[in-house]
Amino acid sequence: MAHAPRKSEGDAGKGRRGPTIELSRVTRRFGRTVAVDGASARFEPGEIHAVIGENGAGKSTLLKLAAGVLAPSSGEVKIAGELLVPAEPREAARRNVLMVHQHFMLVGAFTALENLMLGNEPAGAGGVLDEGRARREVEALAERTGLTVPLDAQVDALGVGDKQRLEILRVLHRGALAILLDEPTAVLTPQEAADLYATLRALAEEGRTIVVVTHRLDEVVRFADRVTVMRRGRTVMSRALDRAGGGASAEELTRAIMGQEPPPRFAPPEVAGDAAVALEVKGLEYTDAWGLRRLDGVSFDVRRGEIVGIAGVEGNGQRELVHAVAGLIPNAHGLVKVAGRQMPFKLGEADAVRMRRPVLRVVHEDRHVEGLLLDAPVSDNLVLGQLEGLAPGAERAAVARRIDSFGVVPRDPSRRAVELSGGNQQKVVVARALDGFLHEGAPPGSAVVLAQPTRGVDVGAAAVIHAAIGRAAAAGLGVLIVSADLAELRLVCHRLLVLHKGRIVAEVSPSAPEEKIGRAMLGLEAA
Amino acid sequence: MSVSVGAAGGGSSAGGGSSARGGSSAGGARLARVKEPALVIAIVIAGLWILFNLISFAFAEAPLATLGRAFDGTWGTSYGIGQVLFKATPLVFTGYAFHIAQRAGLFNIGAEGQLALASLCGGAFAAWLPAGTPAPVALVLVLGVGAAVGAAVAAPPAVMRARLGVHEVISGIMMNRVVDVLVPFTLATVIGASSLRTADVAKGAALPRLDVVFGSLAGSAASFAFPLAVVLVVGLHFWLMRSRVGREMAWVGVNPQACRAEGVPVGRRLVLAMLLSGAFAGLGMSATVLGYKGYFEIGLGSGAGFAGIAVALLGRGNPAGIVAAAIFFGTLEQAGLAINARVPKEAMTVLEAFAIVFVSAAGRFARAGDAGGQSAGEGQSGGEGQSGGDGQSGGEGQSGGDGQSAGDGQSAGDGQSGEGAAQEDGAGQPHSRQGDGALKAGHIPGDGESAKEGAS
Amino acid sequence: MSGVLSLTMVAETLRISAPYVCAAVGGIWAERSGIIQIGLEGVLLTSAFASVAAAHATGSAAVGLATGVMAGALLSLGHALLVERAKVHAIVSGIALNLLAFAATRLALRGLYDSASNSPGIEGFRFGPVGAGGVALLGRVLADPVTIAAIAVTAATPWLFRRTRFGLRVRAAGENPDALGAVGLSVTKIRCLALLVSGAACGLGGVHLAFDQHRFESGMSNGRGFIALAAVVVSGWRAGWAAVACLAFGVLEALQIVLQDELRSSRAGDLVQLLPYVATLVVLGFAAGRSRAPRGLGGGIAG
Repeated sequence: MAHAPRKSEGDAGKGRRGPTIELSRVTRRFGRTVAVDGASARFEPGEIHAVIGENGAGKSTLLKLAAGVLAPSSGEVKIAGELLVPAEPREAARRNVLMVHQHFMLVGAFTALENLMLGNEPAGAGGVLDEGRARREVEALAERTGLTVPLDAQVDALGVGDKQRLEILRVLHRGALAILLDEPTAVLTPQEAADLYATLRALAEEGRTIVVVTHRLDEVVRFADRVTVMRRGRTVMSRALDRAGGGASAEELTRAIMGQEPPPRFAPPEVAGDAAVALEVKGLEYTDAWGLRRLDGVSFDVRRGEIVGIAGVEGNGQRELVHAVAGLIPNAHGLVKVAGRQMPFKLGEADAVRMRRPVLRVVHEDRHVEGLLLDAPVSDNLVLGQLEGLAPGAERAAVARRIDSFGVVPRDPSRRAVELSGGNQQKVVVARALDGFLHEGAPPGSAVVLAQPTRGVDVGAAAVIHAAIGRAAAAGLGVLIVSADLAELRLVCHRLLVLHKGRIVAEVSPSAPEEKIGRAMLGLEAA
Repeated sequence: MSVSVGAAGGGSSAGGGSSARGGSSAGGARLARVKEPALVIAIVIAGLWILFNLISFAFAEAPLATLGRAFDGTWGTSYGIGQVLFKATPLVFTGYAFHIAQRAGLFNIGAEGQLALASLCGGAFAAWLPAGTPAPVALVLVLGVGAAVGAAVAAPPAVMRARLGVHEVISGIMMNRVVDVLVPFTLATVIGASSLRTADVAKGAALPRLDVVFGSLAGSAASFAFPLAVVLVVGLHFWLMRSRVGREMAWVGVNPQACRAEGVPVGRRLVLAMLLSGAFAGLGMSATVLGYKGYFEIGLGSGAGFAGIAVALLGRGNPAGIVAAAIFFGTLEQAGLAINARVPKEAMTVLEAFAIVFVSAAGRFARAGDAGGQSAGEGQSGGEGQSGGDGQSGGEGQSGGDGQSAGDGQSAGDGQSGEGAAQEDGAGQPHSRQGDGALKAGHIPGDGESAKEGAS
Repeated sequence: MSGVLSLTMVAETLRISAPYVCAAVGGIWAERSGIIQIGLEGVLLTSAFASVAAAHATGSAAVGLATGVMAGALLSLGHALLVERAKVHAIVSGIALNLLAFAATRLALRGLYDSASNSPGIEGFRFGPVGAGGVALLGRVLADPVTIAAIAVTAATPWLFRRTRFGLRVRAAGENPDALGAVGLSVTKIRCLALLVSGAACGLGGVHLAFDQHRFESGMSNGRGFIALAAVVVSGWRAGWAAVACLAFGVLEALQIVLQDELRSSRAGDLVQLLPYVATLVVLGFAAGRSRAPRGLGGGIAG
């Protein structure tokens, strides 16, 4: 085993300035896909540098190129003026450039201290770990930076905030002078995010180079010193921000991110004043196997033709709500009524889902996990779970119609789902759920539930999906949308409910000020 | 890995807008589909040939002379051909049996035990039948018993997997060992056989030799079990591909979570696939007990269960491929006997072992180019999507996943929402998903790992 | 029945358990690093043969021991390379490994000794007191270098995992290979090293088996690798508990030897052989959802 010279906290560079990282016309291809296309960027020490862009704009790839996690297909990456060769994480680490991945790279079964040691272990003769020394080093580091983590706790038991601090502590322990963070706030609450930026600010002021990839414009405007905007693999703008005022506004950045693309348009169809209730949820409760109360008495109605949105910070029970309504949680309690019929929870395997199918269709949040048979043809994906009583001829017709009416590209039904782009994959999942109702009609009072209907899809596909949602509502279906994308909810819904810690804490109009909705999402405001 | 239906994970290539790029990649994929089996076979044969030469030299024999002897004993004479078919017959059963389970994402390592106990019970039952039982009745009954016993041996792993999430490989190995102990015990005590065999089967239950019809095969042990095997494989394959239940079993093998979400009874399909697999392996007793010996003795048909795994891997889930692969392995086994005087027959078993490895590795190798092309993908679009809060941001789907390996895309996707799967499911199958994913991907993603962190 | 509580019984149990324990410790090293190893059976067989061949050729038991351990390590390394480099599924590779070991040892048996069933006898180690009594027997068992090595490896394993840099990295490879990669370490390299240790430990079991019989017999591992695998799973991938499980199997087998006169009258005695397998199935059923496998273990076996 290669033993790299370990970096102890001592040379973690109190007083040493971070290196300048410079990427010149770097390109990175994956097969035929070009993720980063001749992008250039320069990250200076002493600053918080934000990299923003839409999904798939190449910002994560750019970061990985800077950290040596990926090697560029062409172009140069220089750290402190010297080419990063070989382009490997180990080499970048040797030059004090370290990355914090979006998905924590922690060993859940290890203690925090074991994670901190891994790859940078103080050890005596024969490779015997010197845990005491590691503990002293880390404790000193924690004291200086204010990043405290319970060192002897198993990482699985830590919250995301602790894990995030642990990751940063780890790169510092490994001697980082430049820290590159990929979407560090994606799973943090706004307060945790603010704390994180305070830490990063302190590190930047010590002279370190801090780069943050994010999609949250408000964070950029509030916390970053400099921003680089990416679009379609290119860096289209890089400028300093004056946090005191002036500088770039969120609107300006949006324009830079979106380019010439027109903002999406959508107007939900009118709801009849006397529309009856389609989906009724009352006192829905669910406590998971760990004893955590995931749903704590959720009640709401969705009327026929109405589009209701569930807003909230992720992890507040959204997933469980969708699963419980869909019939996937046998030990949920409470009432779920669709089209006037009470829906059972406890039934034989899969029967709760099959009982609901005539009046309720659900699109789950992650198409790769609960939506698609990635390795099966599109034709199978379009009828998954719907074969009962379907003649082969009718099946072929349904497949062809679904491909047509949702504009799935390529149109060849024998292509495996994995070969489709994210947007087309999502169209397949939504078509499977909605087409039956839209084409054959549904019993009055039927409902559809869509979780994250346009997550990670391109603008075109999002428009197709939103149009289908509009048609569903116009056809008199009750529509429930659960989304982490507040802008989407504000665009598409008639009414928003805010879910916080498994409870509906507020009902707001989509046109309410964003701050008001945001406060409700944090549980600070009841309505 | 070849256990999978296709290249693991990975994602799409071009985005929705760029249909031209999408088109050309489709062409490439189709071409790869044609080229791949040929390449696999070439790699396998080349590897085996080198090994064959080495072993032959080690026993101071000229490889060509050894090959000549092997050929004479197999395809060189009509007797040899008959013997090859005879050796191939149980492998058709066990090979397809493995495939049935594999389609559903299960690894039936227990065909060995399923076949052994089915042979014993089927043989004993056939011996117990009145001598005058008409052939159709006797055959149907005996095959029914064989299939039922095979399924029964497969049942504990099947149910433990579907209900408790216990991986079927460990339980399958244990069942093999249980049968190993049970067979001699049952033979000695329950059946009370004085020697280590059952009595002769009733006349009606015996399958005639093929030389009744094809005179030139005279003397060979090839029986009507071979055409029976082929007919059963074709029939069952047709049913699996066309019927709702058959298709759902395959879907469960691709993504059990999506199936569960769409109301496919995952557990029932898994159990059925495993039972069918066990039953089909059990039917292999027709080749050994009914078509060859006319009675069961200890050790009859042993090895066919494990060889069936290699047959299924080489046959790549296609009935014709599995029959061809069975004949290939049958040839190896018969060739082993033909050369045994000069070079021990175990040489051919060594070749079998290497064939298994070559087939798996070569499948990977042949696909590598293609998979590499496709791997850039969804990984990241899933990843970035996780957070996707900033308005109507779109993207071309050109996101470049960290496609360092074909599996990354998938594991990234999985990680995303693994969170809930593990947590919500009080009653569910907490372990099955990870098992499936890994089995299919053939490699070990840190699956569901990053997942947990999402939960706050 | 007095034989049950005698020193003979203790000695027999230790002697019989040793190969199981070695194989189980080997299995733990492999699987804690994230590679499923169902080929323990093949490793046992191969190292048993290699040790006999070397001991027979050189007349030195020590050379035999070294060769057997080395053969096990190399075979195991081959498994790691197939899985990590050639991306062969670990279960498939394991099956092939078992098949290969079985056939190749028979092939070699015929090639070297022109016998289909067993090798010529070898001396093996002969230390300790001479005599037939329980004390002498126990003395011989405890003085056997292979047994001593087996005990040492078993005892050292948990300490190595917990207290050394290498152990930490092996565990990380098994729990979350991505995390290991993210700190710049090679998962492949660490797994290969772990499999070397695994093969060496398991190989020790093979050597013990062969030296105990003073010759190699075709197929002499006789399912011990599979029982060891069961012990690994049942123990929750912990060396100490796996050793306990193996000792329990050893007691069962020793009972059969000590009580063979009583048992011979009834065939039911044979059913005792079922116990380890049935026990494993039952424990698997109960442990489902509780005992936890290394999370990076491909195939997510049980637990």
